[in-house]
Amino acid sequence: MLFNSLQFLFFLPLVLAAYYALPFRYRWILIFFASCFFYMAFVPRYILILFVIILIDYVSGLAMERTADRPKKMWLLFSLSSNILLLCFFKYFGFINHNAELISSWMGFQFKPLHLDIILPIGLSFHTFQSMSYTIEVYRGRQKAERHLGYFANYVLFFPQMVAGPIERYETLGNELRSKKKINYLNLSNGFKLVLFGLMVKMCIADNAAPFVNQVYEKPLEFSSMEVLAAVFLFSFQIYADFFGYSTIALGCALMLGIRIMDNFKTPYLSRSITEFWTRWHISLSTWFRDYLYIPLGGNKVKLPRWSLNIMIVFMVSGLWHGANWTFVIWGALHGLLRVLEHWFNKLTGFKMKEGWGLLNVFLALKTFVLTSLIWVFFRATNFKNAADIFRAIKNNWSYQTASISFYPAFFFVLLLIAFDLWHYNSRFELRLNRLAWPLRWSIYSVLLFCLMALAGTQKFTFIYFQF
Amino acid sequence: MLGKVVLKIIAFACVLSGLNVLYNVTFFEKDFRTISPHILKLQQTCENTDVYYFGESSNTTFRGDDSVKTSISDLTALFYPGLRFVNVNKEATHAGIYRFWLRSLQGHDTLPKAVVITLNLRSFDAAWRHSKLETPLQESLVMGSPLPNLVNRFLLSLQAFDNKTEKQREEEMLNEWKTTLLKFPFGFKYKTVREWDDAMANGGHKKPDGSWDNEKSVLACHYIKGYAFNLDTNNRRVRDFDDISKWCEAHHVKLYLNLMAENLQYADSLVGKELVFLMRQNRDFLVKRYTTKNCVVIDNLEAVPGHDFIDQNWTTEHYGFRGRMTIAAKVAEALKKQFINEYKKAY
Repeated sequence: MLFNSLQFLFFLPLVLAAYYALPFRYRWILIFFASCFFYMAFVPRYILILFVIILIDYVSGLAMERTADRPKKMWLLFSLSSNILLLCFFKYFGFINHNAELISSWMGFQFKPLHLDIILPIGLSFHTFQSMSYTIEVYRGRQKAERHLGYFANYVLFFPQMVAGPIERYETLGNELRSKKKINYLNLSNGFKLVLFGLMVKMCIADNAAPFVNQVYEKPLEFSSMEVLAAVFLFSFQIYADFFGYSTIALGCALMLGIRIMDNFKTPYLSRSITEFWTRWHISLSTWFRDYLYIPLGGNKVKLPRWSLNIMIVFMVSGLWHGANWTFVIWGALHGLLRVLEHWFNKLTGFKMKEGWGLLNVFLALKTFVLTSLIWVFFRATNFKNAADIFRAIKNNWSYQTASISFYPAFFFVLLLIAFDLWHYNSRFELRLNRLAWPLRWSIYSVLLFCLMALAGTQKFTFIYFQF
Repeated sequence: MLGKVVLKIIAFACVLSGLNVLYNVTFFEKDFRTISPHILKLQQTCENTDVYYFGESSNTTFRGDDSVKTSISDLTALFYPGLRFVNVNKEATHAGIYRFWLRSLQGHDTLPKAVVITLNLRSFDAAWRHSKLETPLQESLVMGSPLPNLVNRFLLSLQAFDNKTEKQREEEMLNEWKTTLLKFPFGFKYKTVREWDDAMANGGHKKPDGSWDNEKSVLACHYIKGYAFNLDTNNRRVRDFDDISKWCEAHHVKLYLNLMAENLQYADSLVGKELVFLMRQNRDFLVKRYTTKNCVVIDNLEAVPGHDFIDQNWTTEHYGFRGRMTIAAKVAEALKKQFINEYKKAY
């Protein structure tokens, strides 16, 4: 079920009403069935994959707690390899096949690829990563194994964040799901505001930008450089609005149920460096890679060349996590490279970022935005040729002409988003809102509501991150 | 807390009402014009119209070498120079859409005296009912729903209408062809459209030299898929026409159902008498069902000879000038009873 659907607008109040009407001991059952129903609205049979993940990691968790040394390690390996194999089969089968075919033909072998018509289950990368974090933590002894299968299932299935995160740890979400919640006006009110804001961001900004961006990326050489540049920068906001909108709605829904989940975004386009960008963009994934890949590789306790290599590995794996295509790997590699270069530059020159919004920081934020936008081209492009065409069009089709398709409504909303970002920089939207006097607060609600209901895009686009 | 929540809900409802007014005076007309131009046309013309002609591509498709490129509705209007004829036309439309168009007239002080609605036999078939064009058609209706305009606009953004994907619609169509049994009063070897179509696709037509005649076989398959069905009240379009008929009766608007001509000659030569039997049986069903006091069925099914159809290698209701003239004359003739004083022979 999509958040931006009529079904969800009925589903959420019904779940909320039932949730608070039920005694606490039965609520996990409601959350379980509501989450299954939510997920099965996409492709019903894929819920079975989730059940397999849940069972494997639940059993592995219990087994690891009862064993030590080698058997414990074996259980961890069993859990991780099962998750990764599932992910590889559904997400990377075609990719591996295609590359094997290319390599074998390059080496002069005859390789007949196996063609399976596999549809990637929505949000599989999120479920597997969330579930894997649990088994790793149990293995490390930082997390007690969950004995209640229902609560563990809800940790993996929890409907507000099940298909596109944030990727929560059991320590936080598991405990939140287990603790007794009373109906609380502030949670309901703040949750509602977040849902409203998230929907506005998704439906007004992302969905208004998508038609223009899609047209340009489909045939970039047919557009002027100004139009292609507009699409490149607009995509930066489209993906931000899309994912930030989703995460905000997820946060709001969970909060209405009295459950706190982590912030996934903190005004990322106001970052002054790539390093800072990754502390503000898709935070739950960045911290996952930090804890389960970067630190095991040695973290920052190794020499600079090894550290640089580790960073490159982490970012390239992160790229591959996003999609089974080399363009995603390049996207990750470019981020890694910039991160390494930034580090070396700061080390060599002794440069340190200052606080506040002086001219230098404004320039640095703009530089970071331009760089991330250009790198997004590899993320958005369907293949390398498509990405090359985008850059070729920017270079060769030099013209100020922008008349072929209108993108001004989307830019209007982008400005609104920038204004909101500046306003709640280093804070949270609903907290900033609550500090305002009520007439101003209600004026903001009215503007948001009007934008959402009257100016949202008329074509529906599913959340970009659902495909991961 | 309950009091606080109720108070906020009331305040929220008030804000929504205010925003609806704001939307009505700002973006509504532009949205309406873009998304539902046909409903807008109906609302703008309702009080100055005597006869509406609701049509689809059959009304306005012309042959390249037609000396006169005039639509069926305009040709009909020539017979009634004193009447105000308005043509509302959209490709691939059907009774489900016409029904909605008519309902959008509700609330006007003056309604038209008559409505001529295109009754296309193929619009009852599975391919049309599950066509990929159905989604944009359904989308065009959202803004005309009786809910507040702001809510309609929001529903449009949520795509809250019959918004199935092409794949879903195709699956429904294939399933219907596979599972719906064809009924004949005589023995016939194929039980479903799928079986019949497969047989034609595999056996098909042969050229005089014995080789496979792909063009003829493909066309024959199209005829089977387009016309092989038994009409009954389970068909969604029949229910739509029932609603149209009831609405017209309740609002004292005379209804003329213009049953379009089909290429029975081709159906006979390409597929056989069984298909022609079904086409005639379905025609009889429609004529019988809708010939009432308030409704006239203009039976054009066999009014246009095969060579007057524009598409000789496809199943359409697109006619050359002579075909359009014939149909328009028959529509005009049917209208004569109601508008005898306004009638003037045009050709």
